[in-house]
Amino acid sequence: MSENTAVKSAKNANETTATGAASASTPGSAPTGGSRKVRAKSRPADRIFFGLSVGSAISIMVILAGVALFLIIQAVPAIVADWPSNGDLNEGPTAGFANFWSYVGPLIWGTLFASAIALVIGAPIAIGIALFISHYAPRRLAGALGYLVDLLAAVPSIVFGLWGIIVIRPFLLPLSDWLNTYLGWIPLFGGTVSTTGSTILAGGVVLAVMILPIITSISREIFLQTPRLHEEAALALGATKWEMIKLAVFPYGRSGVISATLLGLGRALGETMAIALIISPAILVSVRMLTEGENSQTIAANIALNFPIATTLQREALIGTGLLLFVISLAVNMLARVIAGRAGASANRKRKAMLAQLPPSDPSTVLAVDDVLAKRHAAEDVERSEEASVEQTESEIDEEKRKGTDA
Amino acid sequence: MKLKNVAAVGTLALATALALSACSGSSTGGTTTDAATPSAAAPSIDFASLSGTITAGGSSAQANAEAAWITAFTAQAKGVTINYDKSQGSGGGVTNWLAGSYDFAGSDSPLKDDQQASSQAICGAGGALNLPVYLDGVAVIYNLPGVTDLNLSSATIAKIFSLQITTWNDPAIAAENPDATLPATAITTVTRSDGSGTTTNFTNYLSQTQPTIWTNAPGNAWPIAGSSAQQGGSGVVNTVKAGEGTIGYADHSAIGDLTSANIQVGTGSDYVPFSAEGASNAFTAAATTKDTGVKGDLAQSVDYTKITEADAYPIPLISYQILCTTFADEAQGELTKAFVSYVASDQGQQIAAKNAGSAPIPADMLAEIQTSLELVK
Repeated sequence: MSENTAVKSAKNANETTATGAASASTPGSAPTGGSRKVRAKSRPADRIFFGLSVGSAISIMVILAGVALFLIIQAVPAIVADWPSNGDLNEGPTAGFANFWSYVGPLIWGTLFASAIALVIGAPIAIGIALFISHYAPRRLAGALGYLVDLLAAVPSIVFGLWGIIVIRPFLLPLSDWLNTYLGWIPLFGGTVSTTGSTILAGGVVLAVMILPIITSISREIFLQTPRLHEEAALALGATKWEMIKLAVFPYGRSGVISATLLGLGRALGETMAIALIISPAILVSVRMLTEGENSQTIAANIALNFPIATTLQREALIGTGLLLFVISLAVNMLARVIAGRAGASANRKRKAMLAQLPPSDPSTVLAVDDVLAKRHAAEDVERSEEASVEQTESEIDEEKRKGTDA
Repeated sequence: MKLKNVAAVGTLALATALALSACSGSSTGGTTTDAATPSAAAPSIDFASLSGTITAGGSSAQANAEAAWITAFTAQAKGVTINYDKSQGSGGGVTNWLAGSYDFAGSDSPLKDDQQASSQAICGAGGALNLPVYLDGVAVIYNLPGVTDLNLSSATIAKIFSLQITTWNDPAIAAENPDATLPATAITTVTRSDGSGTTTNFTNYLSQTQPTIWTNAPGNAWPIAGSSAQQGGSGVVNTVKAGEGTIGYADHSAIGDLTSANIQVGTGSDYVPFSAEGASNAFTAAATTKDTGVKGDLAQSVDYTKITEADAYPIPLISYQILCTTFADEAQGELTKAFVSYVASDQGQQIAAKNAGSAPIPADMLAEIQTSLELVK
């Protein structure tokens, strides 16, 4: 009986006040203690908003499926064609390839190689910037720096491309010469060094700058979310700032940073204009970074450069390479999720295992976990210092021996 | 209001342009209707009666010329709008035109046999016309400090671009340039990384004149790895300019202040720099109309080995406007015909020469184009 009146009063409240849900739950459900679900009457605005959000969610699936379907349908004629005997495919940009796979293979390699260079250069710098902003910089500077990094993301890629051509290409020439002269025996730096600077190294450097903002902004947010308690606990246990970051910030943010890096990789994989403008491409598999004629072309740049002149079937071949880029990007994103998930799971497992060693009690547990970590850390330090001292004594002995022989 | 001002300025500019090119004589800039003469000198176009929109696109080589033609044409035919999309390139232009979205396509090479056959789907049994309306030359540009005058034979060019000659003081280059002090700098060849009609023309020239040295099939994509491949004609020009010991090829109208080499004509001892007359003479000497089985089609086949006189530039570049003989919409056909006819007039060619740096198509070819245009309906 009382319930009924409660619902009724809730209904009344709903009808009289226009601000639905909040007022519906408070006055009516409080006396019943939440034992039974009270359902708010759905209003047109609710239904419209629900429809809109579901529609948006469905549309992303439809769009993605549509793109995939378009790529597959368009690409199939070129994939199944016999390239050497086909009048369209044995000339122009697709001339001289046995089949679709021998055409797209070097392009895939080039795409991955250019992105790898970008990642090797860009990711450590990006994480460093993120750490500086989140933990080292004074508050005001951190804000300004974060803003600047975000601004970098707003620079159009064509501008980066032009900057690469005019500034980075000549800038890297002395470095290229130096690397080629002294480290030329490493395949990466071998070959005839470029005189114009249109190398995949220049492309990679520009790509690295382009992926900085993505990796930096995500990593920064994750580093900032490190529980204050962890950090303070580490510091309280005598950790230096770097040790605190190593003990508290990195383990907490690891999966997030990996995801950020892979998102950056996704950006690098699909980058077109900068690469198309800067590097002097050839469709071949090469690891050389400093040459003029042995830079592996990337898929996106190859499409951009050859699409205008391509005939119908050549266009379909280019779309086929686009399909593979789509697949690679999808794979990278899925890998990012798997790694992030696994890292999270393993961190949880470790934490649980440590918790099992402790008496079950409340807030202190968290601190205690760090305590355990700190103890381990300390133990490792002791081991290390012991090793060092052993080495030292050994070297002393060596020296004495040498002295002996000298004498 | 603003638009009107722009149009007024445009008309004024045109009037000035016409006054400057007064040697063409037959037109009086102020009137809307040109005095009709039987030759190609000035087409009899009733500009005032024209209205509508022409949609076209394709070759970027003729883009500057198209822009100049469009400005001049629409300044007289007020009711006409013409859109030329150069971002498509020659291949894209032909593809879109075959799909029926363009009234005409700009292309650096004429339709291939299968394209000519499939054009009947949009053009009817009459087929399509390839009309050579744009003439330029491929310049061999280089950047070698201390060398301002360079003579190159087709054999040496073929060897340089196939990477058989790798330094500037190579005996082959020295023999052709006895007066120049050639340094031992390594040669960096600069080519196109994107597909291009310029590459088609240049590789055609190399494979026709030096088939034993240049063994690659001609095509719109550069076939040899090992060069510095750059995007677009401007990419090649900028890279040649920025490097040292660089050599590349580009449309002559796009090379800016770079020095271009004098090219040997035939096998003689004459080395010819680019000139508009040189390109026109080369067209007369080397281009013959192909028999494509389509009445009125003026697709040219160029035999570079026929360019042997010292008054001709050895590497001409021809670009086409391609349109149907029969338009689905007759009025649209008349409109497109009027524009192409204007382009292929003496006046149109002068405008392109002045604004885009191209060479005028020889008068007898212009007359042939006008005759072919009679077939368009």
